[in-house]
Amino acid sequence: MMAEYPPFLNFYLAALFYLLLSPLFGPRLRFLLPLVPLLSLGQLIILSPDASWSWQLASLSMEWLRVDKLSLLFGYLFHLAAFIGFVYALHVKDTLQQVSALLYAGSALGAVFSGDLLSLFLFWEMMAVSSSGLVFARQTQTARGAGIRYLIVQVLSGVLLLSGALVQFQQTGTLRFDAMQADGIAGGLILFAFGIKCAFPLLHNWLVDAYPESTASGTLFLSAFTTKVAVYALARGFAGTELLVYIGAIMTCFPIFYAVIENDLRRVLAYSLINQLGFMVCGVGLGTALALNGAVAHAFADVIFKGLLFMSMGAVLHRVGHTLGSDLGGLHKTMPKSTLLCIIGAGSISAFPLFSGFVTKSMIMSAMIEAGHDWLWLALLFASAGVFHHAGIKIPFFAFFAHDRGLRPKEAPVHMLFAMSMSAFLCLLIGMFPQLLYRLLPWQMNYWPYDLTHTLTQLQLLFFSALAFVWLNKQGIYPPELRSVNLDSDWLYRKYLPNMARWLWSVREFTQPGIARVQSVILRPFSHQSGLTAFDTSQLLLKLLLGLAILIGIGLLSSDLFN
Amino acid sequence: MIENHMTIMLVVLPMLAAPLIALLPSKNLSWGLAILTATLQLYLAVNVLLDVQGGTAIHYELGGWAPPWGISYRLDSLNGLMALLVCLINFVCLLYAKASIEAEIPGRKLGLFYATWQLVVTGLLGIVLTGDIFNLFVFLEISSLSTYALIGMGRQRQALMAAFQYLLSGTLGASFFLIGVGLCYAATGTLNMQDLASQIGQSDQPMTLYSGFAFLFTGLLLKAAIYPLHAWLPNVYQFSPQAVSALLSATSTKVALYVVVRCLLDVFGVEFSLSRLFADLLLLAGSLAILFGSLRAIQQTDLKRLLAYSSIAQLGYSVVGLGLLTVTGLSGALVHLFNHGITKAALFMGAGMLALGPGTTLLTRLAGGTHRPWLLLLFLTGGLSLIGFPGTVGFISKWMLALAAIEQGHWWLLVVILLGSLLAILYVWKFIETLYFVPQNPPETSTGPVPGRGMWLACGLLCLAIVYFGLDTRFTLGVAMDAARQLLGVHP
Amino acid sequence: MSGFFDKANHIKWILRSFYGLCVLLLVLDFLLHRHHYLQIEKIPAFYPLFGFVACVTLVVVAKWMRRLLKRDEDYYDG
Repeated sequence: MMAEYPPFLNFYLAALFYLLLSPLFGPRLRFLLPLVPLLSLGQLIILSPDASWSWQLASLSMEWLRVDKLSLLFGYLFHLAAFIGFVYALHVKDTLQQVSALLYAGSALGAVFSGDLLSLFLFWEMMAVSSSGLVFARQTQTARGAGIRYLIVQVLSGVLLLSGALVQFQQTGTLRFDAMQADGIAGGLILFAFGIKCAFPLLHNWLVDAYPESTASGTLFLSAFTTKVAVYALARGFAGTELLVYIGAIMTCFPIFYAVIENDLRRVLAYSLINQLGFMVCGVGLGTALALNGAVAHAFADVIFKGLLFMSMGAVLHRVGHTLGSDLGGLHKTMPKSTLLCIIGAGSISAFPLFSGFVTKSMIMSAMIEAGHDWLWLALLFASAGVFHHAGIKIPFFAFFAHDRGLRPKEAPVHMLFAMSMSAFLCLLIGMFPQLLYRLLPWQMNYWPYDLTHTLTQLQLLFFSALAFVWLNKQGIYPPELRSVNLDSDWLYRKYLPNMARWLWSVREFTQPGIARVQSVILRPFSHQSGLTAFDTSQLLLKLLLGLAILIGIGLLSSDLFN
Repeated sequence: MIENHMTIMLVVLPMLAAPLIALLPSKNLSWGLAILTATLQLYLAVNVLLDVQGGTAIHYELGGWAPPWGISYRLDSLNGLMALLVCLINFVCLLYAKASIEAEIPGRKLGLFYATWQLVVTGLLGIVLTGDIFNLFVFLEISSLSTYALIGMGRQRQALMAAFQYLLSGTLGASFFLIGVGLCYAATGTLNMQDLASQIGQSDQPMTLYSGFAFLFTGLLLKAAIYPLHAWLPNVYQFSPQAVSALLSATSTKVALYVVVRCLLDVFGVEFSLSRLFADLLLLAGSLAILFGSLRAIQQTDLKRLLAYSSIAQLGYSVVGLGLLTVTGLSGALVHLFNHGITKAALFMGAGMLALGPGTTLLTRLAGGTHRPWLLLLFLTGGLSLIGFPGTVGFISKWMLALAAIEQGHWWLLVVILLGSLLAILYVWKFIETLYFVPQNPPETSTGPVPGRGMWLACGLLCLAIVYFGLDTRFTLGVAMDAARQLLGVHP
Repeated sequence: MSGFFDKANHIKWILRSFYGLCVLLLVLDFLLHRHHYLQIEKIPAFYPLFGFVACVTLVVVAKWMRRLLKRDEDYYDG
């Protein structure tokens, strides 16, 4: 059948054509971009469930299309995210960004449909490279620095994945990507690789470092794919690994502290992204049908509501030029629609009933209790309250309300509003009719989020968190937004190691003059050549070699003639 | 009969073409004859390689004199692959050279340039194809001498100096090699490789043989720029004319390394030459080369010099594969010779195109090349291949080498190989960033000569090859596996 | 230009209704029978208390962390 090829090809071909045709048609071509995910989604829908596609590389078979409910769910999600992303990015005339985004979305799709570790690695690295293009596209010195750090960490993750794949191939003779054990060398390396992309604690810094440095639309794409592919990979490879429950719990808790004191609102969102990932990692670690469904459903919802929040902050960036909480405020007066849409996103991330976060997060919370992790459940509850605090209230409050700084930017452009409205609509749709999403979930379960206990307790939790915010503000305890950098684990490679290198270099500089002097003494006789030109040399050689060539040639020919 | 002659024609064609090219009156005619020869050679190389695929070998006795007295040519998968590499690179570099060299070298010297070029190719192919170890020395000298001349034609003042340095070191290497050959002859009384191989075990003068082996091997390592003996290489690559850098980087050290493989495994044999200790030394030298070369590359401020140091690192991968002494490792090493050859040639060509206007490859002077986005594609493809990105040839060789390292349980080696890839990202990033993300300062108004169509075609061909052989490995890796099995005496 | 949120009595009105909702939720906790899964949930008004305390703790700890972690904006550039 015609449609039985991996969907990433749609995006890769589109990227190729965009590159080839953009010199002819110019930036007008960008208006066609939202069609790419739409058409590709059509192909995905008619794709038969037992389709497969593989490629022989050396002695290895690379499976580029493996269709099951898990990969299909992420397939739909990424198409949706790409569509919203390209609508949001309609104003972007930069070929680098558009092509990077196409390749990036395609690679994410390639990764979720990969049936073996080698193909996964291929798309893993393609994601790393193409997404770094989105960071570099901001074209500032800071973005360049963050971009290269981002790229190194991402590729490091790929290298670990490759090592794990190699070891597994050596030990078992197969590269198939299925459930794995985390305690072998192969499994350990692969889990570490996934962990980097999933922003595990201490491995998370690339995310908060690079995402806020990208462009308005770049951050949107970034937030949608990389980490979600990691969640997908964890769900397929390491479902039910108990370690992940603890890692996930830490991930939900520690970033919220940073989020409270962070000034750049897009960085706040990046920290809250890690917090949301923590819930998903917990779900994967629990490994029950309900928990796994919760993890992937939350990934689905998160792409949309986190995207919506990043889009609203992107609109602010687009109109104001920065997203520093200390310098923003009062924007609701001229950007009322963006404000409203941002609040819908905030409601979803805070898991208000009737918003999408509620129907997905509560699955993980329930599964936590079922599995008997009482203390970790409390940690997650703490994190849930914290999310509302830093993402649900802080983002809309400091950007659109708080002190009026006299900024009067225009409302966000129409295409941005349209993209945001689509996301907001989806947030509410999933929140009100969760069965629409539940039907797509890969594992069998029987769950309904809207019972009295859930709804009531969630509302209580959120309202009293808000009360705490109000009280802290009235008492003047709430930390003011300040322009600053907060130390995180990237201090190690951004400050400590460079300082070490500088120190070592200074030692070398110290010994250098002596070495240079010795070198100059030795080499002096050769530094003034006279009379020896290249022409002379080549002529001399040519005479010699011509003779040689002729002699050998004659010898050869004559021997053949006389035989 | 014709098939048999194809082998020798590969060597003889350029040798005969050289004087003709020098005598032809116009530079276009000279180039035309050169490219015609190169095309014929490429055709022949593909044909002979197809003939020997699957483990057969072609023997050719020069002048009908049977070995061990006469000179014989022997072609199997190993040198078939190398011959193809040389012919392919020769062809592509000549395509590129037309416009590139005319911008660098005065017109009256062009005939001589192409003639000398043919002699380099004669030498390289001779080394690859001959089955006689003294004959090999002769070809080594032919290629070296003509290479000195080519380097000396570089546009910058330092080119002569670089040529002179290369002459010194090259002569040193060749002398060692010659002494080694002499000693081996004294011990066995034969110069034919196969005959020599059969006499190794029976010689009554093992000490002579060993010293011969040592001299020979040292000389070769110098020629191949293996880590501690690499110092001559950066200057040579940096100051040569652009097309020559591309040719040399892809062929000369690779051919020297081929001779190392041939002598170690075929002539002297694994038992004689490679004690475990010696193999470990190779692993160590290779690993050091990878780390040292990559680190030095990161520090460079000149694009061609950066690429030169990266070559030292990439040669290290092949040495590592050789030291592993398994079919996987060795085939990885051999296929890496080919793969890195086309990658590095493409990158040097890219550097040459950037240098057309400013006449230098200093990174600071090349900043802001965004007006040529297609070149970015070239640098990206080549760079990704250096890193070992899937879908490029670099990945294939590194995958094989990493697999071989794990097979043997050398975990540290796996770490080195992967670390090498990470360091490669840094130096690849370094030039991509300066070329495309740093604003030009001050903006260059006149861009000088525009790259010719041949240059674009050559670069395009190599880029396609990098991707094609990265996706379809049946041919390259297949031949390399055949060769590795033959060399190690393993039957499939 | 003064908007809806600039008027002090608007703010006061919003806050008052917010406090009202909080009280309502607190009262509901005692009126309605909610399902207990864990021992700790049996504490009266557990969720409201937890939400409030958690957020205050969060902010206090974060403020303390800021003292340790805060650096100049161009800390990494220098």
